[in-house]
This record gives sequence, C-alpha cells and structure tokens, in this order.
Amino acid sequence: MRDVIVVGGGLAGLVAALRLRRAGLHTTLVHMGRGGLQLGQGTIDVLGYRPSLVAHPLTELGEFCALEERRGGPTHPYNLLGVEPVRVGVGFLRELVGEAMAGDIETNVLLPTALGGLRPTTLYPASMAAGTVSLDPSDPGALHDGSRVVVVGIEQLKDFSCQLVAQNLATIELPGGGRLETRSASVSFPGRGTEADSNAVAIARALDRPERRRDFVAALGRLARRGETIAVPNVLGLTDETFTAIADGLGRPVFEIPLPPPGVAGMRLTDRLTDLARAYRVEMILGSRVIGAETGLGRIRSLRLGTAGHETDLEARYVLLAPGGFESGAIELDSYGRLHEPALGLPLAVPDAELLNDSWAGEQPIFRTGVATDCTMRVVEPATGEPVHENLYAAGGFLAGAQRWDEKSGEGIALASAVRAADSIIEQLKES
Amino acid sequence: MSTTAAERGLQNDGQPSESFSVWNHLKKASPRLNNNPNSYEAQQLNRLSLDQCVKCTICETQCPVTRVTEMFAGPKFVGPQAERFRNGESVDHTLDYCSSCGICTLNCPQGVKIAELNSMARAVMKQGHMPLRDRLITQTSLEGRVLTPVAPLANWALQRKPLRVAVEKVIGVHRDAPMPVAQSQSIRGWLRHREGPMARRPGQPDRGPVVFFTGCAGTYFEVETSKKTIEVLEHLGYTVIVPRQGCCGLASQSNGLFDQARSSVVKLAGDLAKGGRHVPVVTSSGSCAGMVKHEAREIMGVEDRTVTDIGARMRETSEFLLALADAGELPTDFERIEMTIPYHAPCQLKGQGMGMPAIRLMELVPGITVVESGENCCGIAGTYGLKKEKYEVAQAVGRPLFDKFKESGAELGACDTETCRWQIRAGTGMDIVHPIHVIHAAYGLSDIHSPQV
Ligand SMILES: Cc1cc2nc3c(=O)[nH]c(=O)nc-3n(C[C@H](O)[C@H](O)[C@H](O)COP(=O)(O)OP(=O)(O)OC[C@H]3O[C@@H](n4cnc5c(N)ncnc54)[C@H](O)[C@@H]3O)c2cc1C
Ligand code: SF4
Ligand code: SF4
Ligand code: SF4
Repeated sequence: MRDVIVVGGGLAGLVAALRLRRAGLHTTLVHMGRGGLQLGQGTIDVLGYRPSLVAHPLTELGEFCALEERRGGPTHPYNLLGVEPVRVGVGFLRELVGEAMAGDIETNVLLPTALGGLRPTTLYPASMAAGTVSLDPSDPGALHDGSRVVVVGIEQLKDFSCQLVAQNLATIELPGGGRLETRSASVSFPGRGTEADSNAVAIARALDRPERRRDFVAALGRLARRGETIAVPNVLGLTDETFTAIADGLGRPVFEIPLPPPGVAGMRLTDRLTDLARAYRVEMILGSRVIGAETGLGRIRSLRLGTAGHETDLEARYVLLAPGGFESGAIELDSYGRLHEPALGLPLAVPDAELLNDSWAGEQPIFRTGVATDCTMRVVEPATGEPVHENLYAAGGFLAGAQRWDEKSGEGIALASAVRAADSIIEQLKES
Repeated sequence: MSTTAAERGLQNDGQPSESFSVWNHLKKASPRLNNNPNSYEAQQLNRLSLDQCVKCTICETQCPVTRVTEMFAGPKFVGPQAERFRNGESVDHTLDYCSSCGICTLNCPQGVKIAELNSMARAVMKQGHMPLRDRLITQTSLEGRVLTPVAPLANWALQRKPLRVAVEKVIGVHRDAPMPVAQSQSIRGWLRHREGPMARRPGQPDRGPVVFFTGCAGTYFEVETSKKTIEVLEHLGYTVIVPRQGCCGLASQSNGLFDQARSSVVKLAGDLAKGGRHVPVVTSSGSCAGMVKHEAREIMGVEDRTVTDIGARMRETSEFLLALADAGELPTDFERIEMTIPYHAPCQLKGQGMGMPAIRLMELVPGITVVESGENCCGIAGTYGLKKEKYEVAQAVGRPLFDKFKESGAELGACDTETCRWQIRAGTGMDIVHPIHVIHAAYGLSDIHSPQV
C-alpha cells in the first residue's frame, strides 16, 4: 500500500511530496490543476507586514505571533509552528532548487512591482537580485539613493507599462533615504510571429531561443546608457540559463519585475519542482479532483477521486491535504453564506467577527477561514482540538488563521507547514 | 462509513452530482437533446463550467498549440471567453487550430472544461461544410479492413512520394504525415489461426475472464500490441475474451462528426458487453478508452447505460497490471533487461486521471529505468497532425519531445497510444512500443528486440 497521498500541486503539495519521497516513502501526488505558485511572483514571502514593514522576518516573528495571540479567532499557522520549522522549510526549498533562488532567510528586501511600488519579500529569483532595495542599514543593496534605472517595456506586452513603473518608482523615498533616478523606454518584441499582443510566457519562450535572444539583447544594449541598471518585465526565459545568457550578453546589471499572471518566475519554480517530483518518482495523478474518502476506526482508509468513467479509491496510510484556500476552490462560501470544505466535509475554523466588510483593499476576515491543526499539522476539530482522523495532515493555504496576501506570508507558511507535516508523517511511520 | 460530499448531505436537495443532475434536467427540458448532440441544450453542460474561469491563464501557459503558433488564440480566449459570444455560429475561427488534446482541462485548477467546450463548438462550426478529408480519415476501421488484405501493396504505396503528394492535393492529408504500417493479418485473423491460448504461467491461479477491447488500430495496424497484451493476460491466468467489435468513433468525434461517433460508441459498448457482465474490460488503446469513459458523455452528451457500464469497467493494460502489482498479485520475477526507456504519457491517457501507471509498471522489471518525457503533447492528437494545414504545427508541438527521445540515446521508446507512437516513430526514427511489449519480454515470452508493431 502507498504510504502517503498528498493532495495539491501548489508549493505546499509539491514540497511536501518531495520531502516524503526523499525519506523513501511511497508517495502519490494528486491535483486537479496547477497551483497558485505559478500565479504569484515567484518569490518566497515569509513575513512582509506585521502590519508594519518587516525587515527581519524570523526575529520579528515572535512579536507578530504575540499580536496574533491577542487578536483571538483561528490560531495563525506561525503561532503553531514557531521559528524553527520556517527555517527548515525555506532551507529545504533552497536545497531543492539551489542557485535559482537568492536572498537570506534572516532579512527581507524590497522589490519593484509592476505598478512601480516596492514590496517586501525574503527569497527571490536570481534574475531579480539586481533590483533589490535593502532594508538593512549595513547593506547598501543593489539599488539605492541615486541609482539610475531604465525601465524597458515591450510594445506587445500590454500588462506592463514602463512609464507608469518608472514614474512611480522615482517618487518613492527609499528606506535608507534618497530616491532612484528612472526613465522609461520600450522595444518591439513579439513572442510568436508578428503578433500584436503577446503574453509573458510567449515572450519568455521566444527568449529561450538563442537567435531571438540575440536580437533582444542587442536592442536593450542600444537603448541603455552608461551606468544604468536595466529593468524589464518578468519575461527572461522559462529556463534559468536564459537569464544568465542575457545578463552576460548585456554586461551590465539587469533585473526582472514580476507581472500579473501568467507569472514566468512562478512558472519556472513550478516546473522545476514538478520535474524534481517526476525524477524522484513521486507518483503523479494530474487533473483529478478528490471528492470524498472512506474512513473507519478514526482513520482515512482511502481517498476517492473523480476520474474518467469511474471513481477511483486510492488507499494510503497517511493523507496530507494541501489544496489551497478560497482561490483554488478548496474552501467555498455558498449563496446562503455558509462555509464548506467541499472535498471531505472537514470542520472549518471560522473567525467570530463579521466575515466580509466593504473595504476594498483592507483585510477581509473571511480569509482566515481554514482547517485547524495541532502543532504537528494534524487536522483537529477547532472546538475541541481532537484529531479529526488520526492520519490526516494539512499544509499551506488550507490552514486557518492567516491573511496571506496582507501579511505576505503565503509561501513561508506553505513551506514551513508542508515540511512540518511531512516530517510528522515520516516520524509516525518510523515508529510503527 | 463513507464521507463523500454527496452522502454527507452537502447537496441535500437530492442531487446526486453536479453534471449528472444538469444532464437529467436538460433532458427533461428538451427531448431533442438525445437526438442532437450539437443542440444548444447539449452544450449547456460544459458551458456551465465557463463561469468558473478566473482568468488565471494557467491553460494558456500549458497549451501545446499556443506554444508554437500565433494562428491560435489560445485556450482561455477560444474556450471560456469566446463561448460567451457563441450563439450557434462561432465567433472565433482560430478554434479550428485547437487539437483537442485536453491539456488545458487537465491543468485548469478551477475545473473549466476548456477542451470539451472547444470540441463542441468546433462540431457546430463545421456542421454543414465538413471537409471530405475529415469524413475519410475518420473511417478508421474501414481503412483497416481495406488495407489488411493488400498490406504489402498498401505499405509500398504509402511510401511513394508522388502518390502522397497527390493525396495531399486531393484530400488534404499532408505528404509527410506519419502513417501506420498495414499488417497482413488482423488480430481476428491471428486469433482464428493460432493454436490456442498461451499456456498459463506455472503457479498462477485461474483468474477468470477478461474482455479485451482491441480498438481499430489494435485490430488492423498495431496487431503486435494486441497479441502481446492477450498473451501476457493469458500467461497470468486470465481467459481473454475478444468479442467481435467495431470502432469507438474517437476520430469522428474529434473531427466533429458527432452523429457517426455516437452510433459507433454505443454499438461498440454493446459489442463489448457481449463478453460478459461484470467482467473487467482491458485495452491497450488508451485513447479509445478515453472516448468510452470520458468524451462520449462529456463532449457528445451520450447517456447510454451500456457505455457507462463498459466505461466503468474499462482499464488500460498498464493500469490493470499495476493494480494487480499493488495488490501483491502480479508475479514480478521478471528477467533482467538493462535498458533506459524514454516514455511519453499521451494526453488522452493523462486526461483519464489514472496517473502514469506504465512508469512504475515498467520499472518493476530489474534493469529498466524509465525517463518520462515531461512534455505535454506529441502533436498528432489523433488525426490533427495528418492534415495538410496542421502538419507543421503538429511537428513543432512534437519537436521538444522528439529531441528528448533522441538525446536519451535509447533505441526503444514507449508510449501507450497508437497514433502517438506513429508520430514519435516518424519524428525520431526510433522503435516506439506499447509498454506491454516490455512486460511481454520481461516474462520471457519474447525478445525485447522482437518485431515492433
Ligand atoms: C495570483 C496569486 C498571487 C499571490 N501572491 C502572493 C503574494 O504576493 N504573497 C504571498 O505571500 N502569497 C501570495 N499568494 C498565495 C501563495 O501563492 C500561496 O499561499 C502559496 O503558494 C501556498 O499555496 P498552496 O500550495 O497551499 O495552495 P495552491 O497553490 O492554491 O494549490 C492548491 C492545489 O490543490 C489542488 N486542489 C484543490 N482542491 C483539490 C481537490 N479537491 N482535489 C484535488 N486537488 C485539489 C489545486 O488544483 C492546486 O494544485 C498568491 C496566490 C495567487 C493565486
Ligand atoms: S483578483 Fe481576480 S478574482 Fe479578484 S477581483 Fe481581480 S479578477 Fe476578480
Ligand atoms: S485542447 Fe489542447 S490544443 Fe486545444 S486549447 Fe486545450 S491545450 Fe490547446
Ligand atoms: S486555467 Fe481555467 S480558470 Fe485559468 S484561465 Fe484557463 S480556463 Fe480560466
């Protein structure tokens, strides 16, 4: 019988499956489509706001948790986990992807956004390193007071306005004082053939081809002035080699600015983790929705998948759920205002306060809804703290208590909880 | 105790499941539905899923056709977006470039039936002006019946360039498109003439009957795959029943000839049902299995009890054998075969939600390492890559896959469905076999280098 079924192909699911497989367990990963990792920025946000800007995510985690404790309602995943699992989880990702990710778990940096703002993150793709603004007074950072940046747009890529980015960036007072000097420019570069509208992935694929890349590098080289750092939208190839080749070709600092979906950096990370899972022989069942479970004696015996022609019952000793939150349909609000977990009907931890309010950009308490777990990531009844099933664990956006987007904590929670849940299962199986 | 969502009363208004109830409802509302799969009503089922689209563009990034040509607007545009504006007539003719490979549906995390929407819309778009070519190439069993008696001549003719050029001009099948090799004996001929079933492996129990679904290609062209499947099953102690059977209608379906396809699949299910009630159905034609299990209903609205029953019982050969292995019932004292085998899991197989059983199955053989292609599609998508206006697109789709296979340095590759094997053979010059070929050899029933097709 298989040891573990992991549900979900996002960051949490992929990393958990790899952790389990590397411990030698027979692991099956089931998902009904690609996860949110590919839609985000391709960065690892551990903790960006508490609600003030966070410079040192691990040292400030204690204060963040104390504040969460006082707030009440569903327990925040970081309050269950603590600092060490975050370090282990992020460390495990680095071990998996190597040089592809830059940054330091102890300190955050700021990165320019597609609207010309600055946002905090902890790890970032190597292709964004030349665009980092330091939050640490002892480190000047790649961009600082007086740094000159030319923001280059691509005419066919409508998701990125170089003027907007350049103008907004120039107005920001940097944390270390001073401002950036920016200007904008654009090049014409259709992704496929002569199309007038290209998406980021089509352009990235074109840049993976050496002959198209040469033209692009030449065009950038022509418009950059001496001493300028080049900022481009996140399109520099689906493979890591493409960025290296472009940076070498330009011979000056160049960095990518993340875009709205499809996110090329997130896609690189998803592809890389998926390739690893494949190479390690995680058994992968794609495009299948988990629709129920067979249970008995306090355990889940098998998960039921809605597969073509018939349902399939997959048996396993342990189940690790990482199906995400509202955004992936793992938690639903029906038209009667009731909250459900549609796959297994698990009990949900729901905030006591009003769930939705009419603030547009502010916090919506409903997003704290999710499943409750103990500190080993075993799913528990929110009211009693008793395990729902002895062998059921959860990780990632499925967990109650967080406001991932507002806190900028989504990837940190996903990594820490996925590795913690996987390690709990590994320990349990070792004991038995 | 069971805790499926339905049983826990989450859908406590008595609706067994979402898609099922929609069909029932539509059927009551419009009896036309049963007779006309292209009807407005029939389309509503899959159309409903378009509201789930959150415009995340994941499908856009995965579509193999979008990757290679700007002639195609991409799954999100052609599927959930254009569908809103269709009222019979299609508003977007790049739709014809969709190969219906299903990769988009497989990757959409919101459950939008993109490929299914496209297939239905294309059927409507082509209604009334179906090209002759599309009528001809969908006659898969007819082609087999005609070619088998004259196989050497047919194979000779198919290799003649001038003839292929003429075929391209008149019919629109590309001159370089991959073609099957006609065989002198169909699987029925072989079954009639062989001396009896393969001897049961010593120590194996009598495992009772299984029905074998050959598929048109397995009957006439990929006869070796069918033989080897039957022999392995017999070796393991099964009694293999091969009822006289027709075509599943997949090629007609993917070309939008729904009437033809519907009657084929219903008739096929009836043929297979003659093999016995509750008997497992095994097939080495993964794509035909997909037609019975999935496309018949999801694309053409076929609601036929026998089709549903056969679909529920049907397993692809590797899936069937791996389930035996997982239950501890498959003898695994295989002969050692030192080989690295590049493998491609066809879209049609991935879409059925069985994972990739062939990988684990082949790796049960000591010495074998399987390298999965990791590519979404080989390009052929049934008959898509044969067509003169799609040939280049299909080749470009397949190229990264061909390169990976060639770079592996292996002589033999594996793939579970027939037309994909033809495409990869043509694209790589390698021998490409069904995984059963490997298992047959590992049981000592043949040499791994025995004739391939
Ligand atoms: C557009 C976007 C932008 C984001 N930006 C940020 C940001 O700036 N900062 C930040 O901290 N976080 C951000 N996040 C959130 C962050 O990406 C996630 O919190 C994190 O990646 C963890 O995801 P996960 O693996 O738990 O779930 P997901 O990535 O959502 O993956 C869920 C997986 O489960 C599968 N699934 C769901 N239900 C079922 C079922 N019943 N059966 C089978 N499979 C199922 C899905 O198909 C999917 O593969 C963003 C997310 C999105 C979508
Ligand atoms: S982020 Fe997506 S779901 Fe949210 S409002 Fe914008 S389009 Fe709609
Ligand atoms: S079915 Fe295949 S070709 Fe058609 S839109 Fe979907 S992924 Fe693209
Ligand atoms: S993947 Fe699904 S939800 Fe996303 S854009 Fe495509 S159809 Fe819409």
